[in-house]
Amino acid sequence: MSDAAVVPRRFGVRSRTPAVHNTTLNRLLVGLLLLVTLIALAARLLAPDDPIQPAGDFNLPPGSPGHLLGTDLIGRDLLSRTLWGIQASWLSALAVVLVGLLVGGLIGLVAGASGGWVDNVLMRLTDLFLALPGVLVAIAIVAALGPGLVHTLIGISIVWWPYYARIIRGEVRALAARPHVEAARLAGASRGRILRRHLLPGAVPTAIVTASLDIGNVVLLLAGLSFIGLGQLAPAPELGADTARALTQLLAQWWVPVIPGLAVMLLSLVANLGGDALRGLLDGRR
Amino acid sequence: MIGFLTRRAGAAIAVLLVLTAAVFVLQQNSPGDPVKAYLGANASPAAVAAERASLHLDDPLASRYWHYLTQALRGDLGTSYRTHRPVTADLGAFLPATVELVVVAFLFALLLGAVFAMLRTIAGTFVRGILLVGATAPPFLLALGGIILFYAHLGWLPATGRGGNDDGFLLTHSLVTGDWAQLGAGLQHVVLPALVLAVAPAVSIGRILRASLQQTLGADHVRTARAKGLTEAAVFGRHVLRNSIGPGLSMAGLQLGFMFAGVVVVEQIFSWPGIGNYLAESIPAADYPAIAGVTVVLGAVYVVTNTVVDMIQALADPRIAL
Repeated sequence: MSDAAVVPRRFGVRSRTPAVHNTTLNRLLVGLLLLVTLIALAARLLAPDDPIQPAGDFNLPPGSPGHLLGTDLIGRDLLSRTLWGIQASWLSALAVVLVGLLVGGLIGLVAGASGGWVDNVLMRLTDLFLALPGVLVAIAIVAALGPGLVHTLIGISIVWWPYYARIIRGEVRALAARPHVEAARLAGASRGRILRRHLLPGAVPTAIVTASLDIGNVVLLLAGLSFIGLGQLAPAPELGADTARALTQLLAQWWVPVIPGLAVMLLSLVANLGGDALRGLLDGRR
Repeated sequence: MIGFLTRRAGAAIAVLLVLTAAVFVLQQNSPGDPVKAYLGANASPAAVAAERASLHLDDPLASRYWHYLTQALRGDLGTSYRTHRPVTADLGAFLPATVELVVVAFLFALLLGAVFAMLRTIAGTFVRGILLVGATAPPFLLALGGIILFYAHLGWLPATGRGGNDDGFLLTHSLVTGDWAQLGAGLQHVVLPALVLAVAPAVSIGRILRASLQQTLGADHVRTARAKGLTEAAVFGRHVLRNSIGPGLSMAGLQLGFMFAGVVVVEQIFSWPGIGNYLAESIPAADYPAIAGVTVVLGAVYVVTNTVVDMIQALADPRIAL
């Protein structure tokens, strides 16, 4: 705080949290993001046992021979269940963010580039969605459709795009006022060409950073929904639901409910650190 | 002011219509059959058909929705398929517990957020670190960790229930009537769930407030205030805090709205007899009147909260016009 007092900021520019400019560290953290994605993709190959069939004794503690993370109430291998759960959570979160990015990005791009009544209509629509309590709408949608991973993804995707539409639209409007876009317009470039060559590439870094910082939020929301029974149906492995089903074991075999929860925390931590690092890398290049 | 309230009331109606319509339209595609759940698996087909007719389940969707809306305006949200009681009666019984939990959690969030933003000592760094890590954990993991540590190991805090009657404003009532033993038990029960609920909002509030404070501390008027010899306390209290609190307040309002949605998970773990728990039990039973009722109440709370926060912000900062 004292540093800020020494250097007065004369203009009301919002001070961003300074991105860490340690490029090597940032590259490592972004690499972690990719590593988790690889692990999620290869979960079925990495898992030592079938996640649904019992593979050993009941309630083995972590570190047991043959079962690195132990086994659950009916002897299923926890490492295998957790890996499959990571696959479901991580790929679902990526899918939700991707859908939000595509739908919201397209709406924001069109609204920002056209301006006028198109912009007005699209942004009023976006505002209506933003006024809804997102998590609650997702719960209501999934509760009404009935539990199931696809329903959960639909429910979250419906409430997830407006945020992206707002951000991309703001970025595009700012870009549209820049000299190079004006120059392109004066040179007689068509609307489509300006959109593709001059606006879209400029909005991509913001979109990527916003999306990567968002993956952690989606992972946590998915885990919460799955915990209250709105994710995959039993016996499919899913991190939130696995914790919820093993709650009664908490005081006897703590690891059975805690390990899936820790996996969720790990995913959200990697997503946040990786997103921050990506922002640092992209900011540094500008 | 009147224009502002009218616009917000309009927005509230739109939000509630969208929410209830979503529940109504989507339940068409749901696999669960509420009547089977209601009557039991052994009910005869004739009884099922009669029950479906009496619940208007075979009417066209639009007419059912219209019926629901007109009844809702008369204060009737239907009958729960699961508890066989009016949804409004269920909500009346469960809502006070949720309100008390969220209010206590919100106070924790404000307190921790302020500590996060303002504490400069090594203790502040410590608290910030703990909260930042805690905010990346799913709330249910925090709850499990809290139960293992404070209930199982240390034995300081209870892990389930409210420590008294399930319905009604337990804390408020015992405070007003001076029932100190009950108040103590109630407070002891609310601490752990409220803390779990408060961690993520506290980080959001603290981050925004911290950024805003840092920006104000660098402003010219603060340098002037220091230069004319005001004490650091006066500079901070009168010139920095009031100018910086706006973004923190609006984030706090947003988070209060989120907390009413996040309460579902926390209530379920701590067997807290509130509407979150009610919702979690209604979902597997395909109890649509109950789901719609909870959605309506939480949606209304969300809109009202945001409106009140905007008004408080205008009070705190005269530059903001409603």
